[in-house]
Amino acid sequence: MDSLGLEEEFVKRVQSGAKIESNDWMPDGYRHLLIKLIHMHAVSEIMGVYPEKEWVPKAPSLRRKLALMAKVQDEMGHGQLLLRIVEDLAAPYGKGREELLDDLVEGKVKFHNVFHMEARTWADAGLIGWLIDGAAIINQASLLSTSYAPYARILKRICAEESFHMQHGENVILSIAMGTEKQRKMLQDSLNYWWYSLLFFFGPLEITPAARKMLHYRIRTKTNEELRQKFLAKYIPRIWSLGLTIPDPTLHYDSKLERWHYAEPEWETFQRIVSENKGPKSQERIALRRIAQDQHKWVRLAMTMGI
Amino acid sequence: MSHETNSLAPEQLTEQQHMALVDWLTKLADDEFILGHRDSEWLGLCPTVEEDVAFSSIAQDEVGHAAFYYELIQELEGVSADYLAFQRPAHERKNSLLVERENGDWAYTIVRHYLYDLWDQIRLDAMVKSRYTPLAHGTKKMKREEYYHLIHFQHWFTRLTGCGGEARERMKQAMEWAEQDLDDLLDIGLYESDLLSWGILTQEPAKMRSEFYSQYEDLWGKISDLSGRRIIFSKQASKGRMGQHSQALASALENMTEVIRFDPNAKW
Amino acid sequence: MEKEMQTEPSYIYEVFVQRDHLDPMMHVGSLLAPTDELALQLARENFTRREQIIQIWVVQRTHVHSSAEADFHAREMDRSYREVSGYTENGRLWRMFKEKEITLEEIVRYVEQKKQSKDDLRREGNHES
Repeated sequence: MDSLGLEEEFVKRVQSGAKIESNDWMPDGYRHLLIKLIHMHAVSEIMGVYPEKEWVPKAPSLRRKLALMAKVQDEMGHGQLLLRIVEDLAAPYGKGREELLDDLVEGKVKFHNVFHMEARTWADAGLIGWLIDGAAIINQASLLSTSYAPYARILKRICAEESFHMQHGENVILSIAMGTEKQRKMLQDSLNYWWYSLLFFFGPLEITPAARKMLHYRIRTKTNEELRQKFLAKYIPRIWSLGLTIPDPTLHYDSKLERWHYAEPEWETFQRIVSENKGPKSQERIALRRIAQDQHKWVRLAMTMGI
Repeated sequence: MSHETNSLAPEQLTEQQHMALVDWLTKLADDEFILGHRDSEWLGLCPTVEEDVAFSSIAQDEVGHAAFYYELIQELEGVSADYLAFQRPAHERKNSLLVERENGDWAYTIVRHYLYDLWDQIRLDAMVKSRYTPLAHGTKKMKREEYYHLIHFQHWFTRLTGCGGEARERMKQAMEWAEQDLDDLLDIGLYESDLLSWGILTQEPAKMRSEFYSQYEDLWGKISDLSGRRIIFSKQASKGRMGQHSQALASALENMTEVIRFDPNAKW
Repeated sequence: MEKEMQTEPSYIYEVFVQRDHLDPMMHVGSLLAPTDELALQLARENFTRREQIIQIWVVQRTHVHSSAEADFHAREMDRSYREVSGYTENGRLWRMFKEKEITLEEIVRYVEQKKQSKDDLRREGNHES
């Protein structure tokens, strides 16, 4: 069969629900998209460690400290699981762990906008657990049906661990919401700070050529906007129930269109944060990654080569 | 007399026993808490992603063990475990200087943790048959968890000192730094003979210390480059066990109470 | 004695199978075989002659490094802080705000639906204040 025939056959298979394993033949385009997507997913998990890690030393009780440590640990663990998937996919190009993580400190791989932002207060730390994790879980749940089987298997594990994150995030937020005036103010301020970042998290409204290709290959099966709508439908009522105000006076449910109408985030500003690493905390957090990647390279050399 | 009938319950303690026990438990709790805190600062910074995950479990274990000891003090003193962990000023803390030092590089982290876990294991061995039953009960559980810590750091220690180059040089330097705090780490305090005679501890402290040094020296004694070295003890000007701490602890405590200080009336 | 010398040496192989693309590899038993290739063929007939599987692994037992002591797996102290079961109060707390907690299963079901049911939408939409 010529390569065009192989590609057609492949697309037919994935579109009828077949799962692809790492040793199966796959079109280069499929492999590239997977590497790009999962690499970004992996480094986003790792960069997701830092905003919450900053609050581990300040966690206000033994139990909160332990829970936050466990949660941050899970994020790093998810990074590990995902990196291994990318490493297997990138093996034909001779690219391994070291290079994949070098890409991060050299700014060659992007990570989610939310992890460029500042976690300013304990309410921010809680809100990250509740809403950012909530958004991430919706995104990850939608990928459970991906055509790439190793990714699907790992996502199953990741989602199972996320169920603790959801409960933990809710618990922190509920404690603050039931608290003093000062605490509630802190929570409202946190929602104001994060709302548009959250909307941006799901990605642009239009279906980009890369996104179209991912839908074509069944790497993803849902569009950005479908997922954003699902997030809004699940979380807006809960945000309101806590007595919080969402900083968007135009927000409402349009029953004719059967969708939430929302004021759009400033796409270009957020896009620049992600593509140029120009968020309030981008450079500081990449510098933290360098401690592991560059300053402790001697440890990896010693452990693997005995020098 | 059987062990059970000989056991000490909280309400049976004499005033002096109570005081000595609280002093000892405070040393244990503060050690575990501050070390767990230092360990948690490695989140996201470890040399490999896999180790980052593994190290965090150890950090959680240490904080979990601290919580256990603080709860024992809470039972005796009626002050909450969270208060004991977060709100006591530095001069009331009895952790060893070793655990409060800033993390430094990976070599210092490994050496420090290995030394701590080695001492902790010996200390736990001396408590699993304690007449103070709550302590015997808890230390038995902890010992099972700490076993993994010790083999983890033993492995790192051997590997990093066993290979040449930068790693060994850094390890040698780290050993010299950490060894300066050993006197303080191994200091059981004024009540050590009382704790032994009451059966709260069941090992001769002098034997515990010699066991520590013999195991530590065994670990590096066979490495040719290290076998000739001697541990240089320094008499520290300040003593963590007596509440004399470094600036490193003060800063850590300041950081730790930020949320609590934001609204002291709040529940978080 | 000669008899013994003619016998092929056999190795113990541990056998793992995967039943579905979404399942992990599972250990199902072990067998004796002289080579990797034969071990694979024997595993096929000895372990999967009745079931549909998608992958088999055979691994020589001597290549498996396993934990020696039970204490290696000790989980003694309270770890409810890192489990869903440690947060059962959430349901009660949400009810104070006239809402309920979200579970992961609920999210997965909800996201996997091709289209939201009208009922779902109406219910969520009705919360507009």
